[in-house]
Amino acid sequence: MRRAVVPLLAVTVSMVLADSAVVTLALPEILQHLDTSVGQVAWVLIAYNLVLGLAAVPAAAVFARARSRMFSAAGIAVFAGASAWCAVAESIEVLIVARCLQAIGGATALIGCLEQLVAARGERRGVSIWVTAGVIGTAAGPVAGGLLTQAISWQAIFVVQVPFALLAVPAALAIHADAPATTDRHRPAIRANLTLALMSAALTAALFLLVLLLVEGWGRSPATAAVTVSVVAVAALAAGPLARLFHTPAAVETAVGCFLVAGGLAGLAILPSAHLAWTIAPQALVGLGLGLTVDRLTAQAMQMRLPRARHAGWTIGARHLGVVVGLAILTPVFTADLRDARIPAQEAVTSLVLDAAMSPQGKIAVAKALGRALTDQQGQVPDLGPAFATLDVDADDRPAAAQLERDLDDQLERAANRAFRDSFLIGSGLALLALMTLVPVRRRTS
Amino acid sequence: MNAPPRWLGLPVAALLLVIAVLAVQLTHGGGTYAPLRPADACIERPATSQAEGIEGLAERLVLLGVNNAACELGTSREALTLEIAQSDNPTDAQVDALREGLLRAVRQMKADRSLPQASELLDEVLDSADLNGLLERAIRALPDSVVDSALKTDDVLVRAIGNLDIRELLADLDDQDDLERQVTAAVTQAVEDSLRARLRDLVP
Repeated sequence: MRRAVVPLLAVTVSMVLADSAVVTLALPEILQHLDTSVGQVAWVLIAYNLVLGLAAVPAAAVFARARSRMFSAAGIAVFAGASAWCAVAESIEVLIVARCLQAIGGATALIGCLEQLVAARGERRGVSIWVTAGVIGTAAGPVAGGLLTQAISWQAIFVVQVPFALLAVPAALAIHADAPATTDRHRPAIRANLTLALMSAALTAALFLLVLLLVEGWGRSPATAAVTVSVVAVAALAAGPLARLFHTPAAVETAVGCFLVAGGLAGLAILPSAHLAWTIAPQALVGLGLGLTVDRLTAQAMQMRLPRARHAGWTIGARHLGVVVGLAILTPVFTADLRDARIPAQEAVTSLVLDAAMSPQGKIAVAKALGRALTDQQGQVPDLGPAFATLDVDADDRPAAAQLERDLDDQLERAANRAFRDSFLIGSGLALLALMTLVPVRRRTS
Repeated sequence: MNAPPRWLGLPVAALLLVIAVLAVQLTHGGGTYAPLRPADACIERPATSQAEGIEGLAERLVLLGVNNAACELGTSREALTLEIAQSDNPTDAQVDALREGLLRAVRQMKADRSLPQASELLDEVLDSADLNGLLERAIRALPDSVVDSALKTDDVLVRAIGNLDIRELLADLDDQDDLERQVTAAVTQAVEDSLRARLRDLVP
């Protein structure tokens, strides 16, 4: 058991931070299963990040007065129970409440696990494991969520967390940590936390918008989207060794990370087609940026600052409130752009149907089938496949109909790309803003 | 001279990577990957059809007519098509613009000599017409020159468009049989009117 203690606590940290974005790919399925609206289902994501962000610092304050291992174990147990509750939720309201409780348990678990890891591995390694586990969780969350949703169901995302969390409860109880320092000795690292918040907002754009583009815009399956966005996680892991190769100072490393995320998001805004391969290079830039910034900034915000738990709370707060700010800025922009994209997309579809190399009867049949498909799928990027699958046209018109289907899909993908462009550019702007916060400000001396 | 510090490698590599990614995407059309923009309806474009005979003629007429109507209304052909398809009650301006657009389409096709002679359409018309067998054989026996001098395609089309109730036609777009019934009635009436007019011209 002793050998498994540290990995179990690290997995718990990863799970809590992965939960920040783990449901992104499951949102369409949750929307359908719980028969809710897009606005409400977004709260499954927002509520968790908001509560986690707001609860982290108070949790650290409570931690200062509590017994470390009991505190950690209680947080992990609440997280496990709330995860199970999420899995059995039968209404959107219950799911959102369960997610809030999961976030409270998660915030407590994160603070507790930090102290337990430090007690088990020492200050430097303990903090390092905690930070790295968080980065891996953040990057791998959407991938794991997408694969589980596709392979089993959205509920599986929460079910798989329960046994790991339950195993981590005795692991937390097994470590006897010293009583944490109770006095506030250092002020929060404002600049590092601000940069962290802005970077989290920008990374939300990358992960949240990209999976939405892949699934809703390009009609890919959650599993395909999950495998595709795994590029971010892989690149994030490669960032550390790459930076060590150059012996780069921490401040430069962070600045480079912000620049890479800004560049990657700008790349996602100008994709030349809807081929998945085009997303790889921009995602790699985002992943490298993520790997260079988040762990560095987190470590910087906590370095030499006591009490450690309080400063860890500030970093968690900054990260998750940054995610909420990112969602608050980007969601209205891309939903409005998606709505505005409908008219140009419909006009492009009409143009192609009118000019199709088909008989007039064939064109009328296509127009009727498309009209039905567009009416049935209002409010989302339409899937024209079923309309063409049931199309009844002459044999002479079939090759032209097949070509028309490809051309129409291309137009819809173009419209989706264009609809997401501004949101990716805003995300890129947020990363550049994060870069600006790193510019040293000279204090005037009298 | 001192060598630049090793750490400079990371920002330089990052800068080159970002520039390379963005440059490759832009050179492959990343900046222009957007939905097809509707063409200006006031710029003439060829109207082609895969069909032949009356069906092909009707399709080309409709395509040119809708384009002309869109130009008249200051919109695109695609936007007008969608507005008409999604509305149960087209406006008077749309109905008038469509009629005028179809009439202009006849003039355009006459001008570019893409309007077929009446004799080229005769067999198809007779196949679908419910005529007395003797009369049908008699008409088929007429030489093409006689048919073409008696019936001018543009005149028949202009009269047929005048006879059409465009509003009713648009309301019945989903009902193929009703649509055909209305068009056949308008064309038959137009042929009769055209022949009467020719006869009146022949009588001093």
